[in-house]
Amino acid sequence: MLDTKELWGKCLLEIEGELSKANFSTWFKNTFILKEDGGVIQIGVPNEFVKDWLLNKYSKLIMRVLNNNYEYVRGAEYVIAKNESKQKAEEVAPINKLLINKELPLQDLYINKDDNLNPRYTFDTFIVGRFNEFAYAAAQAIIKTPGMTYNPFFVYGNTGLGKTHLIQAVGNTIKEKYPEKKVFYITLERFATDFINAIQASKANSFKEKYRKYDVIIIDDIQFVGKMEKIQEELFHLFNAFYENNRQIIFSSDKHANYIPGLEERLKSRFAQGMILDIGEPEYESRVAILKAKAGEYRSLLPDEIIEYVAEVLQGNIRELEGSLNTIICQTQLKNRPLTVTEIKTFLKNNIKAKKSVSVKDVVKIIADFYHIEEESIYEKTRRKEIVKARQIVMYILREDFNISYPLIGQKLGGKDHTTVIHSYLKIKNDLKKDMGLSQELEQIKALFK
Amino acid sequence: MKLECSVEKIKNAIVNAARVTSKNLTLPALQSILLVASGKSLKIRATNLNLGIEIEIPAKIEKEGVALIKADVIGNFFSSINPKEQTTLSLENDNLLITTKNSKTIVKNYPHDDFPTIPRVSGEVISIPSKKFIEGFKNVYYAASISEGKPEIASIYIYPEDDMFVFVATDSFRLAEKKVKIKTQSPIPTIIIPIKNATEILRVFDGEDEEMRIEMTKNQIAFSLGSTYITSRLIDGTFPDYKQIMPKTQTTDVVVLKQDLLGVLKTSNIFSDKFNQITLVVKPKEKLLAFKAKNTDVGESTSTLAGALSGENIEVSLNYKYLLDCLQVIPQDSISIGFSGNNKAIIIRGVSDNSFTYLVMPMNR
Repeated sequence: MLDTKELWGKCLLEIEGELSKANFSTWFKNTFILKEDGGVIQIGVPNEFVKDWLLNKYSKLIMRVLNNNYEYVRGAEYVIAKNESKQKAEEVAPINKLLINKELPLQDLYINKDDNLNPRYTFDTFIVGRFNEFAYAAAQAIIKTPGMTYNPFFVYGNTGLGKTHLIQAVGNTIKEKYPEKKVFYITLERFATDFINAIQASKANSFKEKYRKYDVIIIDDIQFVGKMEKIQEELFHLFNAFYENNRQIIFSSDKHANYIPGLEERLKSRFAQGMILDIGEPEYESRVAILKAKAGEYRSLLPDEIIEYVAEVLQGNIRELEGSLNTIICQTQLKNRPLTVTEIKTFLKNNIKAKKSVSVKDVVKIIADFYHIEEESIYEKTRRKEIVKARQIVMYILREDFNISYPLIGQKLGGKDHTTVIHSYLKIKNDLKKDMGLSQELEQIKALFK
Repeated sequence: MKLECSVEKIKNAIVNAARVTSKNLTLPALQSILLVASGKSLKIRATNLNLGIEIEIPAKIEKEGVALIKADVIGNFFSSINPKEQTTLSLENDNLLITTKNSKTIVKNYPHDDFPTIPRVSGEVISIPSKKFIEGFKNVYYAASISEGKPEIASIYIYPEDDMFVFVATDSFRLAEKKVKIKTQSPIPTIIIPIKNATEILRVFDGEDEEMRIEMTKNQIAFSLGSTYITSRLIDGTFPDYKQIMPKTQTTDVVVLKQDLLGVLKTSNIFSDKFNQITLVVKPKEKLLAFKAKNTDVGESTSTLAGALSGENIEVSLNYKYLLDCLQVIPQDSISIGFSGNNKAIIIRGVSDNSFTYLVMPMNR
């Protein structure tokens, strides 16, 4: 890969030598290389004036200098663009003059008002690994033919794994690829507020119209719909309107549609009719790739062994991964030298989650709660059917997921013989093969341990 | 170069162009005005790389040519000449010779190679009445932020809504919104134009009442009216979603005469502290509307005002300058001030005019 920053730095150095200081600082300040594509170099300039001038006056000089430093160059283009890294540096100094005046509570300046999409979320910055390659492939298929392939598209996964990034990137790419298509991103919470406001102002119809005019709708954090009956109904109608017209619908949630409590059957089945995919936790290789990409320009400060160490110890959530990386970069800048692994260990010790230890008692409590029975009854010697079932599931999970020995399980559950435990374990294992309902129940129970 | 033209025309053009030149850049060409004599007219150009202007004036051209002259020098010079006269401009030994009836002046001419081109914008063309457009600018520009930290709000935001153009500006302490009905053949897209450029455009076009041509691309906009062409860069960003902070309900309403309010604010001016703070006390049941200003170094003053009051009692402090600003642009005689709670934005409008809305945040005390 060509290091455009370095290339442009070299070019600027040469250009500076050939021009007067005033000319150089006027025309070449805030320029940078946007990208290189097959020998054509796109130079980002701050405005039309500079673009015109570079094109008319300095294009020969620029081509010559580019040629000196990069042999494959075939041409140069000038594009008006913001220099993102510069921008950030300037934002650091906030002006705090009239603190006594309260500010109008204006929202983030960054989000596009027409479609709510955050332009920062694109596929360029989306890292694909084994943990999300399915979701990524499905997303690409949707972009190819929106509304036709996987409709609706339902992504679920734990917090901080990139669901929002994925669905917003789909929105942004569709917008770019099909400019005539209207994309709209909204969180369920905003959707609900909007709906309530519309009802209050008795403008339910204009609410319906507002949402029906889009070609692609993306609803984030749909899991909260469980408790809102009216919203579910509205969502149901919206869904039908979209589905019938082959318009793409995309949802994200933190759990599978079937486990969203309070979700109506008709919605569950509709969600399942397209594609339901999960984003899992990134595995080690993906974590390394993510860290390397996020480190970006600070990459030189972070030797591979540090990245590998961080990827090793921090598992799960990408958001936390990013946070830890920021701490490390900040400390590195402060110290002005790469950190050692020992130093990093001390910084990260708070971020490393101890493996959650679940005691037998907790397991019993969770399962008893799940089946709405008394916790104590699991330990007793009753043979009531519902309790026997719960007890057997407790034994099965303790054995299967926590690897506790049969005799110990028996002892912990009120002095049962180890053969009883073996019997229960095998029984559930066999039942699971036949009974789909039971395996769903188990999935739900397992989700409660997380 | 040799040409003859009217002093009044060239003076006006140069004064307008001189405002656009930049004072603190290192490139001398940017502090100068380019004179281009060709065909039957003299073109006067200036730019500060943010804004570019070109004004064409009729002239009798004897010999075509180009000159680059320091803007302040030539501007001051023409301002001092009787505008009724004719003047001749010619290049002699690489300097510009300006002759009028009673004077001969030589001004230094600079090499014009360094003078930037003024971009021509070719994009969508919209034709709109300039008066309406400038009215929109005038109603809101004072509220824009002057700090360049956030370019999105150091701007005027213009977007279409139904058959209206909505002009918005805010410095995050107050916000002005004006809706103007303007008929155009094609709808305008959303524009964010830097406030510094907007004030220059406002100044150049103020008072004109003709069709104005607007052309724009994603990054650049150009206005042409008569013989004047101005081009400005646009901000590539998103204006904050201000609609959601508009208070939806009001708990206290006050209607007062504008003249009375201006009088009270004048008094407040004397006694307010360094934050320009005044306190409004509204007690509808007691029919009390009072303005308090207090400065520990000067003294304090309380004025009451007659007005129609309704709703709950409320007491808020605010920067009276913010109030004064919007009173200048409200044409109605009566002003309505709406409160919706202690820490909520205050809404100010002309009575029975919904096209203009002004929001002010109260101060912390």
